[in-house]
Amino acid sequence: MDLQRLASTVDEALERVAAVRDLGELDRTESETVGRRSAVIQARRSIGSLAPHLRKEAGKAINEALRTLAGAIEERRATLEVEAENSLLEQDRVDLTLPYGRPRRGTHHLLTTTMDEVCDIFRAIGYRVAEGPELELAWYNFDALNTPPTHPSRFESDTMYVEPPAGDERSDRDELLLRTQTSPMQVRFMEDHDPPVYVVVPGRVFRTDTWDATHSPVFHQIEGLAVDTDITFGDLKGTLAHFAREFFGPSARTRFVPHFFPFTEPSAEMLVWFNGEWLEMLGCGMVDPNVFDAVGYDPGRVTGFAFGMGVERLAMVKHSIRDIRHFYENDLRVLGQFR
Amino acid sequence: MKVPVRWLADFLDLPTRDPYQLERILVSLGHEVEGIEEFAPSFEGVVVGLVEEVGPHPNADRIRFCRVNDGDATHDVVCGAWNFGPGAVIAYAGVGSRLATRTDHPLTVGARNIRGITSHGMIASARELGLGDDHEGILLLEELGAADRDDLGRRLEDVLGLSDAVLDVSITPNRGDCMSIRGLARELAAYWRIPLKDVRPRLSTHSEPTGFEISIAGVEACPRFVAHQIDGVSVGPSPLWLQIRLLAIGQRPISNVVDVSNYVMWELGQPIHTFDAAKIADRRMIIRRAEAGETLETLDGVTRVLESGDILVTDPSGPVALAGIMGGSSTEVSGETTSVLVEAANWHPPSILFTSHRLGLRSEASSRFERGVDPDLPALAAARAVELIALTAGGVPRERAVDAYPVPVRPWQVRVEARDISRLLGPEPSFDESLVLLKRLGFGVAREDGRAVVTVPTHRSDVTRPADLAEEVARLHGFDRFPDLLRHGKDGKLTSGQTATRRLREVLVGSGLTEAQTLSFLGQADLDALGLPRHDPRRDGMRVKNPLREEEAILRTTLLPGLIAAAARNVARGIKEVRLFETGRVFRSAPDPEDPRIPHQPVHLGVVVAGSDVNVFSVTGLVHLLSRATGRDLEVIQDSLPILHPGRGATITSGTAPVGIVGEVHPSLSRAHGLEGRVAVVEVSLDALVSGSRAWDFDEVSVYPPLVFDLAFVTTESTPAGRLLEVIESSAGEHLESLELFDEFRGGSIPEAHRSLAVRVTLRAMDRTLSDREAGPILKGIARAVDEELGGALRGDA
Repeated sequence: MDLQRLASTVDEALERVAAVRDLGELDRTESETVGRRSAVIQARRSIGSLAPHLRKEAGKAINEALRTLAGAIEERRATLEVEAENSLLEQDRVDLTLPYGRPRRGTHHLLTTTMDEVCDIFRAIGYRVAEGPELELAWYNFDALNTPPTHPSRFESDTMYVEPPAGDERSDRDELLLRTQTSPMQVRFMEDHDPPVYVVVPGRVFRTDTWDATHSPVFHQIEGLAVDTDITFGDLKGTLAHFAREFFGPSARTRFVPHFFPFTEPSAEMLVWFNGEWLEMLGCGMVDPNVFDAVGYDPGRVTGFAFGMGVERLAMVKHSIRDIRHFYENDLRVLGQFR
Repeated sequence: MKVPVRWLADFLDLPTRDPYQLERILVSLGHEVEGIEEFAPSFEGVVVGLVEEVGPHPNADRIRFCRVNDGDATHDVVCGAWNFGPGAVIAYAGVGSRLATRTDHPLTVGARNIRGITSHGMIASARELGLGDDHEGILLLEELGAADRDDLGRRLEDVLGLSDAVLDVSITPNRGDCMSIRGLARELAAYWRIPLKDVRPRLSTHSEPTGFEISIAGVEACPRFVAHQIDGVSVGPSPLWLQIRLLAIGQRPISNVVDVSNYVMWELGQPIHTFDAAKIADRRMIIRRAEAGETLETLDGVTRVLESGDILVTDPSGPVALAGIMGGSSTEVSGETTSVLVEAANWHPPSILFTSHRLGLRSEASSRFERGVDPDLPALAAARAVELIALTAGGVPRERAVDAYPVPVRPWQVRVEARDISRLLGPEPSFDESLVLLKRLGFGVAREDGRAVVTVPTHRSDVTRPADLAEEVARLHGFDRFPDLLRHGKDGKLTSGQTATRRLREVLVGSGLTEAQTLSFLGQADLDALGLPRHDPRRDGMRVKNPLREEEAILRTTLLPGLIAAAARNVARGIKEVRLFETGRVFRSAPDPEDPRIPHQPVHLGVVVAGSDVNVFSVTGLVHLLSRATGRDLEVIQDSLPILHPGRGATITSGTAPVGIVGEVHPSLSRAHGLEGRVAVVEVSLDALVSGSRAWDFDEVSVYPPLVFDLAFVTTESTPAGRLLEVIESSAGEHLESLELFDEFRGGSIPEAHRSLAVRVTLRAMDRTLSDREAGPILKGIARAVDEELGGALRGDA
């Protein structure tokens, strides 16, 4: 085969390779163009019959031709393999919007997540979390909190009292009641710990309230208490304003106005500007000296502030929930919305 | 308390009358404003008119024909009233104006033909203007001092001062002194640093003194009793200005004497009671506690049975008034009364609170006495009431009041140092500034280097300590002016128990359970439905003394009834599958181990699964999950237990201690909740699971290949699968890597009352590839142990 014919054979073969449509055809084309019986291989075999001075050049040309052809075939094969796989994958297509295989997950109750969120905001500034009994002594719920025996909040129209176990005679102070606030845990905590104290207390509380959109006989509060040697009213304001920004967002504005609670002096209410209005969000104040006396702290040596907020109210305001009963009906269509 | 701005202006030259600005200031002083109402007349388009002519009606005797000038034009008006003549200044309701009616719908005045003459509008009576009940004649504005000819054409509401803003102020329990216009005006005067224009009653008296003999049995019950008599009174409707004042605060005008009582209470904060002086026997009054069982017919006609704590005003014939709450009918002021005895007294606040609560008689008066009224006030208030009765009902006051005040309350002193204020409020305001603020609030201040003696006026019974003074300083300084300082504590860690509880909740939610919050109460029926044996502590629920409903009378001893009811409610609402959990306290009658003064209140975890395709295995896996999440080895020991299906329940133990139950609830219980299918539950004591440490050590893993064998054992039905796994595990030796039960089979070649259980045993050595030759003896050992301990036979490879 002369070199010219070799070149045209190669061109012809390259065209065939380029035209191949599937891998089977490529195998056949491969054997026909570079296989043992192919013209190029035949030509290589016949190099020996050439004149010696021509052999080297012919060998070089033929090898070159074989490399070219083999390269083209491999390239074509790679292309066809990708096409073949693509076509298989295309047949394997499924509709991913089919709702199969969703992992089953429940939801936390919004009151729990709200309590955790509030506690975590205060933990981040060094407050511990404590919980206390729901069935309390009148002493902790009222007396130790500077609430006189004649205070109307002690009436049965406000407070649920519980019969002591049979044969258990109790004084007025030891009367059993369902705590009406998380504040009694302030007292218990101070009894058990020396100052400084930085603690928040989430929990369930009870009042003799009949159900309506904003009242429930069972609800939740978070109490906070900071006692140290040098705490002032400014610390109360700044700490609670920080909480409001963390909970309601960085633009939350707060306002403090005087109020009255038996266990703080001065007492205040914190309002938060949210969704275009000032909302009463929590009660707070500087711990009344009588409370320090009741727990054995020296009111001449320590000062402190305390605050209490309604968990349902926080959640309702933040998530536009209009009826407190949603929290206790346990309807999965409601619970499922809590995130 | 309703506070009309015009009334406030009696006491102050108000720098502003903008109710919103007043609201802002009152709120900053600690007086919450619950609302701002507009006090608007119940008429519209009524103007001051002048009657120019009055003549007979040509076709009727009892009505007259008038010409009324309204400042713009003169109108023909037919009128049925006879209490006026030409020249009368009257309220003219022209065509298109609107008048008050007894219903909510106002009457629009039109042109009406009355017996042949068209009347263009009306001349209005007080009742038609919504200004009381007087319908005897038309309203004569000049006689009332309300308007004259110069006011012709002016809007009647402007002339009468009828439109006003009324602030609804909520007074905190410690500030009884602010339950009055004067009290709030005093606060505003301090805020603005302007003088208070106080009331100074002036009485023209006759020479005879009141002369009643007052004796007080128990100064605690009645610290002070002032009585002042006024004679020659004629009881009748109040003048218009007084009626309007009362209407503005939402009080219905009744008669001059009663209206004055209400007026003085609102103005000064001192409730006033009036007696018909002639009906009090012997001109003697005794103030004492009631004896249990005594009775008194109160003004509302109800006979009240009294208890020993109640305070009574009595005369020698018996009780005449329930002190501070309501008068008695026998001495009530009536239309025939000519001598009125005005009482202004001070009563023991808790007694008034208890009595008014017990009788359900809470009034404006009792709400003031409950908070405490300034003991200095009765003399002023009695004089003010007498002055106003003389003004509105005629009569001449007696020369002196009787003032029974056995132990007069004097202003008291509080010593305060600079540090007392600064340790609560910080460096600002300075001590000097603080003292100035206190002075503005009416406290007397005597400075003694570095300290001060502060004299507290008697109306501030809430101020007795330096901390109370600090509050006063802070309030007037303005809470907004204190800096915002962020206070950091020292330790924000959760306890290990708190962390464990949070993780547990997360695991449960991740496994498809939704957290519920059920009430802490049960009813007796809930407890009965559980079928608990007699000594089960869950039966011994503590009782609420004053439950809202019988269904909520017992403190829950288990979370399950609440959870099952919640599940049932969901199923009833068409939810197919309900998986709920709750963590919360239950209540036991046994004492708390840490504080024996209170009952034990352990935190429990409860789970309920209900809906289609539920059975006990819907929850048994959770026990395994709880084990993993808490690091406790929990075991399920099948047993026949109360609450549960006898064949599908188990005790959960940790170590040897029972910590809870798992199983399907007894069908009778699910039926009681209206649930048809199976209901599976778990209840465990969380305290037991989350307390203590969760320490554990890592086990190295092998890099060599495993050998896996599937084995099937035939055992009796009564052999628990868990027992089989235990035997395999303890007999397989150190190379056992995992053991898994994957099949349960009955029938075929398996004998009656037996079953085949197939397990996959994975063996692997830490240090080499295990050979089949080594595995042989291990498998034989397992088979032997199963045979010996359980009588189970190896079936060959499953």
